[in-house]
Amino acid sequence: MSWLNQRVDDRLIHGQVVVAWGSALRPARLYVVDDQVAASPWERDLLVSAAPDAEVRVLTVAEAAAAWEAEQDAPGGAMLVLRDLRTARALVESGATVPAFTLGGLHYAPGKAKIAEYVYLDDADREDARALLRRGVKLEVQDVPATRPQGLMALDPTVAP
Amino acid sequence: MSRIPALLVTHADLGAALLRAAQQVYGPVMDVDFLSNSELSRADLESAIRERVSGWTHGGLVLTDFPGGSCQQCGLLAARGNAEILVVTGVNLPGLLDYLHNREHYPVAELAERLVTRARDSVRMQQTRPE
Repeated sequence: MSWLNQRVDDRLIHGQVVVAWGSALRPARLYVVDDQVAASPWERDLLVSAAPDAEVRVLTVAEAAAAWEAEQDAPGGAMLVLRDLRTARALVESGATVPAFTLGGLHYAPGKAKIAEYVYLDDADREDARALLRRGVKLEVQDVPATRPQGLMALDPTVAP
Repeated sequence: MSRIPALLVTHADLGAALLRAAQQVYGPVMDVDFLSNSELSRADLESAIRERVSGWTHGGLVLTDFPGGSCQQCGLLAARGNAEILVVTGVNLPGLLDYLHNREHYPVAELAERLVTRARDSVRMQQTRPE
C-alpha cells in the first residue's frame, strides 16, 4: 500500500476528509503538511483529535518531503492534506515525488476568482499550479469521492504551463 | 443569573433550520445566532466565530454539528483561552430545547453538561412488535 490521495484543502482535516474520503480510502495514516500548525502543539492535538480512525502526523514541509519515499512502502494506506497550492509546490520542490494533487477546498478570499463551487484562485495560486503542472504533477478538482474529478486545466485554461 | 447566549455553527443551513425548529416548539428566541461554514476557509470560519462571540461578556455556548468537522475545530480555535466559552458538538433539537429552557438558571458549564446529557439521551432505537 502507498499514498492514496494528496489533497489541497484550506480546512485541512474536516468532515469531507474524515467522513467521505476516510470511509472511501480507509487510510491508516493522515499526514497534515503545514509549517504553522506543526509549530503549535495545541493545534496539532486538535487535528489529531479530529480523525480518531487514523494516525494523524502533522509535519513541516521539509519533514514531509523527507518522509515521502519511506511512506511509499509502509503497510496501510496514507492520505496527505495541505492548505494551499503554495505548500503543495513547496513540498514538490523540496523533493517529494507527488504524482497528483486533488483540489478539494480553496475557498473565497478577496482577489480570488471562482473556478469551481469550492475552488477559488488568484494569480499567485495560478503560478503555483503552473509550476506543479510543468513538473508533471496532475491537478484535479474534486471535493468528495462521490463527485467526478475534473482537470484543473479544463476548468481554468489560464493555468496551462 | 443572566441569560447565556449561544452560537450554532454548522454545515449548510442546519443551524438556521435547527433554530427555526426550536422556535416552533419554544417560541421566539433571543440571543441565539447561527453561522454556516459554507464557502469559508478554516481561517475565515475561525475569524467569523471569534467576531460573533466577542460580545459575550459572561461566556456562552458554541454549538456545532459533528465531532472532527470544521465547525467544531474552528469553534475550539476561536474559544481558545476563554474558559467561559464552551464548545458542544453533536447538538440536536432536544439538546437545543433543553438549553433554551435552562439558559437563565445554570452557569455555563452546568448548562452545557445538561445539554449534552439531553441530546445524547434523546437518540434512541425503538422497535414495535407485530400485533
